[in-house]
Amino acid sequence: MKTLLDINNGKKVKILKISGGKGVRQHLQCLGIHVGDVVTLKKTSFLGGPILLEVNGYDIALGKGVASKIEVEEVE
Amino acid sequence: MRIAFIGQPNAGKSTLFNGLAGYKTITANFPGQTVHYTISSVKIGDETFEIVDLPGIYSLTAIDKAEFESRKYILSNQADVVINVIDASTLSRSLELTLQLAELQVPMVICLNMIDEARRKGLEIDSKKLSSVFGVPVIETIASKGVGIDKIFSSAKEAYYKRLIPKIQFFHKDIEEKINEVEKLIPENIFNNLPKRYLAVKILEGDQEIFEKLKNHVDLLEKFERIRKEIENTHGRHADTVISSERHALSMNIFEEVTTFGEPAKPLREKIDDLLTNKYLGYPLLLLILFGIFFIVFEVGKLIEEPLVGVFDSLIDKLPALIKEDSFAFFIVKGLLEGFSGGLGVAIPYLLPFFVGLTILEDIGYLPRMAFLMDTIMHRIGLHGKSVLPFIISYGCNVPGVMATRILESPRDRFITATLSVFVPCAARTTVIFGLVGAYIGGFAAACLYLFNLIFIMLTGALLTKLIPEITPGLIMEIPPLRIPTIRNIFMKTWLRLKDFTMVAWPLLVISSIILSILEYLKFDILFNKIFSPVVNWLLGLPEQTGIVLLFGILRKELSMIMLFQAMGTTDLSTVLSSVQLIVFTIFTIFYIPCVGTIGTLIKEMGLKKTILITLLTLISAVALALAARVVLSMII
Repeated sequence: MKTLLDINNGKKVKILKISGGKGVRQHLQCLGIHVGDVVTLKKTSFLGGPILLEVNGYDIALGKGVASKIEVEEVE
Repeated sequence: MRIAFIGQPNAGKSTLFNGLAGYKTITANFPGQTVHYTISSVKIGDETFEIVDLPGIYSLTAIDKAEFESRKYILSNQADVVINVIDASTLSRSLELTLQLAELQVPMVICLNMIDEARRKGLEIDSKKLSSVFGVPVIETIASKGVGIDKIFSSAKEAYYKRLIPKIQFFHKDIEEKINEVEKLIPENIFNNLPKRYLAVKILEGDQEIFEKLKNHVDLLEKFERIRKEIENTHGRHADTVISSERHALSMNIFEEVTTFGEPAKPLREKIDDLLTNKYLGYPLLLLILFGIFFIVFEVGKLIEEPLVGVFDSLIDKLPALIKEDSFAFFIVKGLLEGFSGGLGVAIPYLLPFFVGLTILEDIGYLPRMAFLMDTIMHRIGLHGKSVLPFIISYGCNVPGVMATRILESPRDRFITATLSVFVPCAARTTVIFGLVGAYIGGFAAACLYLFNLIFIMLTGALLTKLIPEITPGLIMEIPPLRIPTIRNIFMKTWLRLKDFTMVAWPLLVISSIILSILEYLKFDILFNKIFSPVVNWLLGLPEQTGIVLLFGILRKELSMIMLFQAMGTTDLSTVLSSVQLIVFTIFTIFYIPCVGTIGTLIKEMGLKKTILITLLTLISAVALALAARVVLSMII
């Protein structure tokens, strides 16, 4: 299973599953990140730090821990 | 009529509010700036409107403390009209909150703010269509430029008098059936008149607060859990995920229905943004920006401070000629002048440029980018990127720094971040560092003190996170687009922040300066000095007279420097204190007990117990570090 950490910059991915507790799940939902959404990985940062996602036209930063809980598949 | 501004973080609520109420609240380009709500009265014609600016809230499922405050206010039914402020460029997501607000069945106006930014993204929103979907007025605004804000009150009145309550948007049939089932079970008079539908949806989402209130109805809770389980079984996902996906789908439908999509302009901003958060170049740029700001602050500050303080110094020198020396009046006037010049010497020269710099960084939207860059480093001390913001703000003043910890989700992160923030040398302590070590020993030594402080904070952070282990989910944060700050906003915000200082801190400074002067007249200072002597003199090797000076430093840290001159009876400290003593004194001042203002804020934010804990920690650290500095430096120098 691929997570957001295994994706290269600039790739579009579809979110398949968000694991982790209710807190993380709801926080992501509040920010508009849902299972089934297609998002673009805009940027990874130094030393496996946070990643920058584009979701429906706005940017969300996710820490490494959170990103590893989001399972995705590449589209296109 | 009471109008509440509700919207997602960074949608421009505070900018709108300021545009209507005059400048009363601080806005910024990072999510969660408004940590408490501000109420203001505006009179238009013969009608008085009470407007309320609430912290931004992504959804009625509150995630952090600031969001929780907002939700509490909204649910308390105090608002006659709700103005749902939406960042038009993120309409698809913002509508998810709108859908939830609709369930509360209060007259509403939808305000599509930052409509210019939406156009830049190629989104053309049909506000008439949106208005007919929800059945409430929709207005378009650009709050930063004041465009459209005149329509707010008229549409609020329209919504109120015509009782324009938003139409409920329905989910899929099977979910609606479950909602119906739950609605019928909800007992009367537990949830003072909150609409049943809202409650039912929240119950399906597993809302903790509601379940808490129902804890005596065991049979009901069981039934609700069963219904939630049924949804989970048919959909193969948690009930809260199902509801959230339903809402997401609804918003996307409405969004697509009311929006025409054009080509987004690929502006210069995007390129600059790319550079600022660049994997490699981002870090040197970050250092450059921070050092640049501090450099400018101190260069500009020094330039203004010297002549300003000089005027007062010469006044104090001339004083014996005007009033009889050693008389009571002489001491009062001297204390007054010294306190006044101390405030003027700090507030105007150093705070002003610092606030301007901070405001520009905030309004551009650099702070969240900094959080992004610093996330990895902050993880080393067990926190995540968002904690950087309270630290940076603390370099100006610890009070807003501690308040800014509200943007953090977990209480443990809030506690650790607040504790560390208190150690950050604020503008007041910075003047001590520069006024004592910088002036008498040199700029390099002063810079070393900063580094020493930073290392100490990192180590304390690492230690605290070891002591209070907890798996934190990590960084989840929106990065708003870069924006060009308006001169007006920078000016007004700087003024607002400076006003806080002049209204609260400055009078305190003058009063305590007078008190010290009186104590000196009564010779009480000698008594205090004797009491503190074991620590100050025996342990730290400082002159006995510094005891009372350090006591007053608790009121405001820069007082300890201003009064040091007074207590030692000289304007050239190098004649009475050795370099080691100066450094030991400065280190003690940096670390010991937060100032009165910070203590007050800590009590409000963290509670008394934790405040005492933090205060004790600072005191122990200060004594230990100052002692260590004394021992080590005496060997070197």
